[in-house]
Amino acid sequence: MSLQERRDLPAKALFLKALVWVLFSVLLGRLFYLQVMRGDFYRVLSENNYTRSIVLRSPRGMIVDRKGAVLCRNRVSFSLVLDSARRGDVVTTLEGMRRDLGLTMTRDQLRAAQLRSPVQSLAVVARDVPASWVQRVEARQAEMPHLTIEMELRREYPYGPLLGHSLGYVGLISPEESEAMRIPITDPFLEVGKSGVEKSSNAVLMGRNGRRTAQVNSLGREIDDPTLRLPGVGIQEEPLPGRSLSLTLDVELQKLLETAFGDETGCALFMDPATGEILAWVSIPEFDPNLFCGNVSPAAWKALAEDPRHPLLNRPIQGAYPPGSSFKPFVALVGLEEGKLSTSTVFGCGGAWEFGGNVFHCWAKGGHGSVDLLTAIQNSCNVFFYKAGNEVGIDRLAKWGVRFGLGRPTGVDLPAEGSGILPSPEWKAARKLGPWYPGETLPVSIGQGYLTVTPMQLLSFYATLATGGVRVKPHLAAAPPEVLQRTDVSASTLAVVKEGLWRVVNGGGTGKACRIEGLDVCAKTGTAQVVKASAGKDTRLLDKAIRDHAWFAGFAPRGDPKVAFVVLVEHGGHGGDIAAKIARIGLEYLFYGKEPVGAQTVPGATPPGELPPDGDAPSEAPTPSPADQARLGAGGGHRAG
Amino acid sequence: MRDRAAGFFRLLDWPGFLTVLALITYGVVMVQSATHGTRLAALGDRQLLYGSLAAVVLLAALAVSYEVWIDYSAFLYGLVVLTLLAMPLIGHSVAGSRSWLSLGPAGLQPSEMAKVFAALACAGYIKDMAARSLERRDVAILFAIAALPMALTAAQPDFGTATTFLPLFGAILYLSGAPLGRIVKWAGLAAVGVAVLFALGWFTFFKPYQKDRILTFLDPSIDPKGAGYQVVQARIAVGSGQVTGKGLRSGTQNRLNFLPAPHTDFIFGVVAEETGFLGSALLLSLYLGLLLRLAGTLELAKDPEGRFLVAAAFFTLLYHILINVGMVIGLLPTTGIPLPFLSYGGSALLAMTLFAALGINVRMRRFSV
Repeated sequence: MSLQERRDLPAKALFLKALVWVLFSVLLGRLFYLQVMRGDFYRVLSENNYTRSIVLRSPRGMIVDRKGAVLCRNRVSFSLVLDSARRGDVVTTLEGMRRDLGLTMTRDQLRAAQLRSPVQSLAVVARDVPASWVQRVEARQAEMPHLTIEMELRREYPYGPLLGHSLGYVGLISPEESEAMRIPITDPFLEVGKSGVEKSSNAVLMGRNGRRTAQVNSLGREIDDPTLRLPGVGIQEEPLPGRSLSLTLDVELQKLLETAFGDETGCALFMDPATGEILAWVSIPEFDPNLFCGNVSPAAWKALAEDPRHPLLNRPIQGAYPPGSSFKPFVALVGLEEGKLSTSTVFGCGGAWEFGGNVFHCWAKGGHGSVDLLTAIQNSCNVFFYKAGNEVGIDRLAKWGVRFGLGRPTGVDLPAEGSGILPSPEWKAARKLGPWYPGETLPVSIGQGYLTVTPMQLLSFYATLATGGVRVKPHLAAAPPEVLQRTDVSASTLAVVKEGLWRVVNGGGTGKACRIEGLDVCAKTGTAQVVKASAGKDTRLLDKAIRDHAWFAGFAPRGDPKVAFVVLVEHGGHGGDIAAKIARIGLEYLFYGKEPVGAQTVPGATPPGELPPDGDAPSEAPTPSPADQARLGAGGGHRAG
Repeated sequence: MRDRAAGFFRLLDWPGFLTVLALITYGVVMVQSATHGTRLAALGDRQLLYGSLAAVVLLAALAVSYEVWIDYSAFLYGLVVLTLLAMPLIGHSVAGSRSWLSLGPAGLQPSEMAKVFAALACAGYIKDMAARSLERRDVAILFAIAALPMALTAAQPDFGTATTFLPLFGAILYLSGAPLGRIVKWAGLAAVGVAVLFALGWFTFFKPYQKDRILTFLDPSIDPKGAGYQVVQARIAVGSGQVTGKGLRSGTQNRLNFLPAPHTDFIFGVVAEETGFLGSALLLSLYLGLLLRLAGTLELAKDPEGRFLVAAAFFTLLYHILINVGMVIGLLPTTGIPLPFLSYGGSALLAMTLFAALGINVRMRRFSV
């Protein structure tokens, strides 16, 4: 065939032209589909490509004490975050982490960390990493393309363990908290208060995170290129910083009291009775809230949770103890108000009283003889109050108990407050414990039996006495006073009870260790029985673990009370000893600016053989022991004090 | 001199010439846009240099009759084949294949030039046949002329560029004078052959990355951050350009590095993203115009050798455009075939300009003198 042949050339040319048209139609059709029909879809994809929503973290507010001392502040911390949405194989990054940072993380661990994170692709690898890692991670961007260093602000508590129970701590928000508080988890580092005022004042302290849309390149690195203006890039929402919080605490008083406790455990509260401002919140053992805001090791956490001394227990509101003799002024008050007692009421004390087939003992084996109301308070006579309680009856005690806020939380602004137990026939019936026996009123009358209080409740009672019957809401966060209840106790009744309390300290009564010249301290000692085995024995001879709890509660000065207080020393023996001495340190500081000289720790109970003549030694009270008499420390049984 | 210039411009195929010039310009503009603000920004200026050079080469290649070019074909072909043979010794290695020849500051890819010179050599052989009719032996010799540089290119190893010799075989078959029906039959047989080779290759010599490219082409979501990444990001670039595009130098897929090789293999993605459907349709129209002009020249050429040159240019350009654009818009798997006149690179631009110029040259000189 000759190449000169031209016959079919037009047909072939036509075929090729048709072929070109067809092929280009396919290309153009595809372009039309992608760019015109699906253009909006791909535009969104491209915008998602180059934009990252960046959280603008808002700092939490500072916390200061009543004199402005900084109790809590923020510090800059660096955290390591892995974003698997970035380009490249995650395995390379995991290997790079192991090699360059010594961090091992398996794919399963990564997946678990991602599940915890609010953003599916993000995983928090490590928090609080050294600042030197910032540059190291930057420099190794090529080997670890998924890693970024994020800056966050973390809590720092300069006073450490001193304020653990009042300040509390913060932690990562849980899904349950997010739902309950209506705070969306937009940031893997979002923290909320978990305990203390950090939790109760979370709404004040916590700000609101802002949001910014940043422009990133394919490596996820943020770039700011003025020649490239992109839609939707910039700040969407300014962060709202948290407000700072003033507490009513006096950190100096706090320090003195804590030191005074020495090796003892227990708690102490000081409060302005008129305003409800809490000046000191001591719960010992303390814990360091900084532990929860750093990298707390599982071992440290376990040690804290399993410590037999329960350092995490916020004793003033979570401990429930029998108030012992410190409850007697309440019985006197109810008796006076209900017309069952008067200053001229006299009961005989022979060291014990037989009632309903049981013998109820006084701590003074020989008895107090004939005692009137004031003497009974001053010397803490059990038999007088057995008889007084029997006259008043459990119903009236319960009625007035409600007015004074017993058996329910006081409403202090700290979370997880307990209620204690204000026993009554109704309470007993509701618990399916059978009918109320008159004999069960007797131990309640001396602060034992079914009765338990939180130290905060007892403080609230004494503060209400101090204010002349007005119950004010206790609080740690600075706020105007809030009256909870006007108990309408008559002035004459209050005068009698105050006189009794004054005599306890100033009239040679059980609380004379707290007598301060020129300051009319009114207070009552209390000894709460821990186990029945100690009944009738000198507590100072007993093993520490089964020694009685020591109470000292009151207010000062008598005329115009400026402070109400309660001190509880667990297994502290007699309330007139160590508890009264701790209270004295606080009062001397508050009224005279005095700090104790030399050894600031109150020495333990005085040696045996030097029993004070008016000591509060317990005696046996053979009533049935309630199973839940005390959540802490107290075993079965109870005893007068 | 003035008369000769006036004569040339009267002779000039203005539509073809201007189309090629427009494509070269489009290419320079897009490479500049694709590299603007990146560490490759210098390549934009270099492409301007290559583009100017290509314009000069275009004029020069049109000024001289294709018959003169054919006269030198044996020399040019011999030179390029020798260079290719020497590449293992003198070539520079880029991305694992010895395909670059260093010429002072510039580099040259002899394999690109080899396509043009192989086409010229085939034309020369056809010319030497004079009026003799085409034998089976002649077809075999023409195949061998094209196959030699192709094999040398494949040995560099650069399979992608080697496949760009395939259009030459198409041109030879087309010229062989076989009726349309038989060509269709051959094409069918070739398709079966390719399929069989493909199946054999899958289980024998395909490299894992080559298999990945095919698998991810079929389903990019298999591995959207690995092998499927380019496919997905190219599609986003094209689609997000919408009708009017994001504007030159404003393509986010390009500027923020989501689009792979935006100035070379994926430059059509930049065109689509920054100039939108209108811009990419304009570019395709320029290609379409050039191809139709070449197809029309096939029946006008005055001699078989001219007709072959036109066919070689037509098939080569069509092949590059289809494979490259098809890849970027997700119709074909990923391959490293540049887009004629648009992709960054002097060698490919010069080769394509020469091909187009020879085709237009044949149209300009279709009347026997």
